[in-house]
Amino acid sequence: MDSSLVSYLLRRLLWVPLILFVVSFVTFALARFGPGDPVSVAAGQFRDPEVLDRIRHARGLDKPFYEQYWIYVKNAARGDLGESYRYKDRKVTEVIFPAIWRSFQLNSVALVITLGLGIPLGVFAARRQGTWADPASIGSFLLIQSIPGLILVPFLLLAFALKLGWLPASGWPRDCSVAIGLLGESYKCIGIAHTYYEIPISWRFLVPVDFAIPVIGMSREVMIPIIALSLPAVASWARYTRAFTLGVLREDYVRTARAKGVSETTVMTRHVLRNALLPLSTLVAFAMVGLLEGSFFVETLTGIPGVGRLAFESIGSRDYDMIMAITLLGSSSFVLASIFIDVAYTFIDPRIRYGA
Amino acid sequence: MKGRNAALIAAIAGLALLAVVFVVLLAGGGGGDGDGGGEQAGPSTSPTPADARGGCDAPRGDDLRLLGSEPISLDPALTFTAGDADYVVHIFSGLVKLDANLKVVADLAEGWDVSPDGTVYTFRLRRNTLFHDDRPVTAEDVKYSLDRAAKLGQTESIVAESMLGDIVGAKDVTRGRADSISGVKVVNSTTVEITIDAPKAYFLAKLTYPTAFVVQKQQVEANPQGWTRKPIGTGPYKMQRWELGERIILEANEKYFGGAPKVKRVLFYLAGGSSLTQFENCEIDVSGIGLDDLERVQSPRDPLNSQYVTAPSLSISYIGFNTQAAPFDDPKVRLAFAIAINREQISRVVLKDREPLANSIMMPGLPGYNKDAQMAGFDAQRAKQLLAESKYGSAGGLPKVTLTIGSAGGGATVGPYIEALQAMWRENLGVDVEIAQADLASYFSDLDKGRYQMRVDGWIMDYPDPEDLLDILFHSKSRYNQSRYSNPEYDAIIERARTERNESARLKLYQDAEKILLTDLPWIPLNFGKTHLVVSEHIKGYKPFPIVIPFLQNVTIER
Amino acid sequence: MAREEAAELGVRPGDEAPLAPPHSPMGVALRRLLRKRIASVALAFILLFYAVGLLAPVLGWLNVIPSYSDQDLEQALKGPSLSHPFGTDRLGRDQLSRVIWASQTTVVVTLATLFTGGLVLAVGLGLISGYVGGWVDTAIMRVGDVFASLPGILMLLLINATLKEQVRGLAEDFESLSGIGGIVRSGAPDYILIFGALSLFGWVGGARVIRSQILALRATEFILAARSLGASTPRILFRHLLPNVSNIIIVSLSAGLASIAGSEIVLTWFGVGIQPPRPSFGALIFDASGLRTINAHLYLLAFPGGVVAALFFAFNLLGDALTDVFTPRAR
Repeated sequence: MDSSLVSYLLRRLLWVPLILFVVSFVTFALARFGPGDPVSVAAGQFRDPEVLDRIRHARGLDKPFYEQYWIYVKNAARGDLGESYRYKDRKVTEVIFPAIWRSFQLNSVALVITLGLGIPLGVFAARRQGTWADPASIGSFLLIQSIPGLILVPFLLLAFALKLGWLPASGWPRDCSVAIGLLGESYKCIGIAHTYYEIPISWRFLVPVDFAIPVIGMSREVMIPIIALSLPAVASWARYTRAFTLGVLREDYVRTARAKGVSETTVMTRHVLRNALLPLSTLVAFAMVGLLEGSFFVETLTGIPGVGRLAFESIGSRDYDMIMAITLLGSSSFVLASIFIDVAYTFIDPRIRYGA
Repeated sequence: MKGRNAALIAAIAGLALLAVVFVVLLAGGGGGDGDGGGEQAGPSTSPTPADARGGCDAPRGDDLRLLGSEPISLDPALTFTAGDADYVVHIFSGLVKLDANLKVVADLAEGWDVSPDGTVYTFRLRRNTLFHDDRPVTAEDVKYSLDRAAKLGQTESIVAESMLGDIVGAKDVTRGRADSISGVKVVNSTTVEITIDAPKAYFLAKLTYPTAFVVQKQQVEANPQGWTRKPIGTGPYKMQRWELGERIILEANEKYFGGAPKVKRVLFYLAGGSSLTQFENCEIDVSGIGLDDLERVQSPRDPLNSQYVTAPSLSISYIGFNTQAAPFDDPKVRLAFAIAINREQISRVVLKDREPLANSIMMPGLPGYNKDAQMAGFDAQRAKQLLAESKYGSAGGLPKVTLTIGSAGGGATVGPYIEALQAMWRENLGVDVEIAQADLASYFSDLDKGRYQMRVDGWIMDYPDPEDLLDILFHSKSRYNQSRYSNPEYDAIIERARTERNESARLKLYQDAEKILLTDLPWIPLNFGKTHLVVSEHIKGYKPFPIVIPFLQNVTIER
Repeated sequence: MAREEAAELGVRPGDEAPLAPPHSPMGVALRRLLRKRIASVALAFILLFYAVGLLAPVLGWLNVIPSYSDQDLEQALKGPSLSHPFGTDRLGRDQLSRVIWASQTTVVVTLATLFTGGLVLAVGLGLISGYVGGWVDTAIMRVGDVFASLPGILMLLLINATLKEQVRGLAEDFESLSGIGGIVRSGAPDYILIFGALSLFGWVGGARVIRSQILALRATEFILAARSLGASTPRILFRHLLPNVSNIIIVSLSAGLASIAGSEIVLTWFGVGIQPPRPSFGALIFDASGLRTINAHLYLLAFPGGVVAALFFAFNLLGDALTDVFTPRAR
């Protein structure tokens, strides 16, 4: 790593705390200055102004804005992101991280499907350019991509859960005693991974230690949300890959290679793939940042306790610390990811240089 | 180029055709009838996991599977929503509880005496009651719980002051002037004496509310922040597991003094999703029914009809006026607005009669309900006349009128009900009512500041006594009187009713008070609550009750 | 052939560029676009949608379509028929006309956002940032970082919750001061809040793209020549640089249009912006998308959903075609 790169990296990193400060300040201000507060929201039909004021005071909500912000920053620096109002007696981190983990699991599987289907489909369409398959595929990709999530999810639920009954309507695995296999009834769910089998009693004499054999499968409940998440993404990745592949295939050096008699496979791997690395990896990197976010629509409509749904519910219930934490986590991952990508670019494409 | 475009067009056309076919298929076959109709539902042709026409298999094991909402907290001193109460009433117990007929019956106290002047209640505790961890329950635990709840009224509990405030010395604790309620005395380890400030007949009913439930001092003090994750109570069910966001599992308390419950585990799934769909797919055993399915399920030929149960709930939805803000400071204007809308039609068409029309304030099932109490009916002509007679002279003379609604965080439309009202006011009264859909948080802050003219809201009874409705919401000095209604004649009747010892005379007083309300109309009553459920045929004893009471211990599963 | 096109469009940085911007690259591009059938159909659909949206009030005034609040309770929830091609909703309102009125909302918001967020902010800031450079550039880019890193929809909801009353208050004050009535009633403050917020969060991507293009062009010969001839900065920006990035602007705007429309629908789904009884696509979809609702009344979702999907489809097709048209091919 040469020194100009290091200095670039340092310069970008120095901005991060500042950006986070601004983000946190803006969010804090918006939340606090808005009408309403978590105490009044939670009060339901028991709106006795005196009691509510007392409780607000006990929670420190009537302190001046700057004092509240300073308290928040001090605590955050120590790692204490606050307590949730909506989920009493729970620390914000206690609620957020499991929610992020759940969304992450869904998003990861969806990403794998997206890349696994989208890229090959795009290449396929590019190779078939000129035949009917190409426009047919662009057309279908485009069509699928055009349906917004808020419409796609209800239709998927209607089709698969209600009418056909193939998949459960609830998005999150619940009953873990579903599969029965060779080793007896299965025992537990790990997130969306299906079950694992505990060693049945009769075998225990063989194995003196109590452990369980993991068998990873995917619960049926999450299939609809995953389809909803990956379908539009497959379409857009396919389109992008196709456009890109076409671009590369048109380049002079490809024609030369083909004229020289190089096999099609080699053409694809050496030329197309290499050139695809840069733009594709950018997109993949950004997609990975998105893994930590949840899609509100998918999560609410299918019933998944993920971070997307948590974020919006927190706004509705004015759960201040939760809103701050989610925003900060999202912002920091975005900013760090951009820096990472920019730096990674220099390695992938030696022509790119930063500096004056 | 031409060939390409043709191919593209062909592809799109093909897809569109597929989509149409798909949609037609969906609209036709499988899981449910189309709208209206109620035609014969033949055997399902699609491979539903449930043989939906024949019902689901019995639930595995002795588990009851329900959808639940994520509780805010399981601390009974902090409970004030029905969602939390659903859990709390099964995990904890109080001195008294409500039975299926909403009568106050013994719970932790096996009996009680009331002093002649009606202010001293002596409760005799059941012997040998145990907490879930086998510690015995004593009178000290009762006092501890009440003192604690009152102390929490200082910092966290919204309802402590109002639920316990009748006890002598309680307000001193909630306001930080004392540490212990002077009116609660431990006579001996099985007797508690509670003194209230006046012979209030509704006191026992108030004690059935979770605020007065008994918690275990040792657990609370050992783990003040985290004890609610696995609370130890005295109720028919114990907390087995609470996985935040995912599920709550309650397991039967075999040593429950009322007898071990038959259903050994109750699983509450917290993650959400469409409940009726899950019910039809046999994933859960009980589900509510939404507006779009109600007609169908109520029709006798629908397969779900045999599993359908309904019961009124003690709640009311209403339009509340701010009687101190123009133009609703003039009762003629209030009456004009009230009779300019055809509530019956809206209820029938828009709500499909899901909820009964409310013509009074007290709801059926509440002691004191008077089916002869009627507010004025729909009369557009008279409405216009009333406006003319009012101090504003005409529709044009009114200031801008806004109807405020608190939406629950995610909701584009205010609901067709409100839009129908808006259109009726425009048509029948010539007034353009603007709808202000505040989000919940701003709605409440506006309410507190009295900054609204009319609002749509609802009220759910906390205990089955008219005091919780007519007194708490309309007495001029009451803190919950959002309508700022102030009528000395009304106040006098209500105050007499508080301490009237003769039950029927008391109810008569409330009925008189209600008549005043129906003339003065600080509220336009809209609908009374009604719960509609489908319950799997294998579950017996599960039905909706008008108010949250512990009932799961009486549910059984049949195969 | 490609080289001629490239020369006509004059977009290859590093190429010899003429001293003056090439004439009528737009005309050439438009002609190429129209030669693609599908793209033309897509363009026509979009234009039709926007025309209907803009003309909706006129249509209403002329009684061609009923007002969006014309309810007829006894006709509620009827499926598609001759008198109600899209069916009726829960209050008996004709869905077709509600869709038309909803398109007005979408049209206004997307056009307004496009103008402020797209043209003014993205192009303006991109141009300045790229050309002027130095601390101005850094400042603009870092501010952009902040906006880009904030989670968009969340912020929009928060902003709406916080500022809605203020904006309305301002509008009311304006009404009383200026004597122009009906501003608040028309929903203008709600529109302003939405498109203002959308612009604030949407300009960053476009600005970055334009900025990088400007950075590349900045050092070309004709720009240096213009500067040595004493041309002022605004002149350089508008007469020389702007036309050369116009193709990029168009492509990114057309992509942006789809995402703005998408955001508008999502926001109105949450109840932000246009208030009932004025319909918006988000509201129509929200009302119709409960699983039990579509089970019972599929048409309530199918029609607005279909229109929305068709619109996005058209945007995407157009975007693809524009990219094709404006990207020079090396052949």
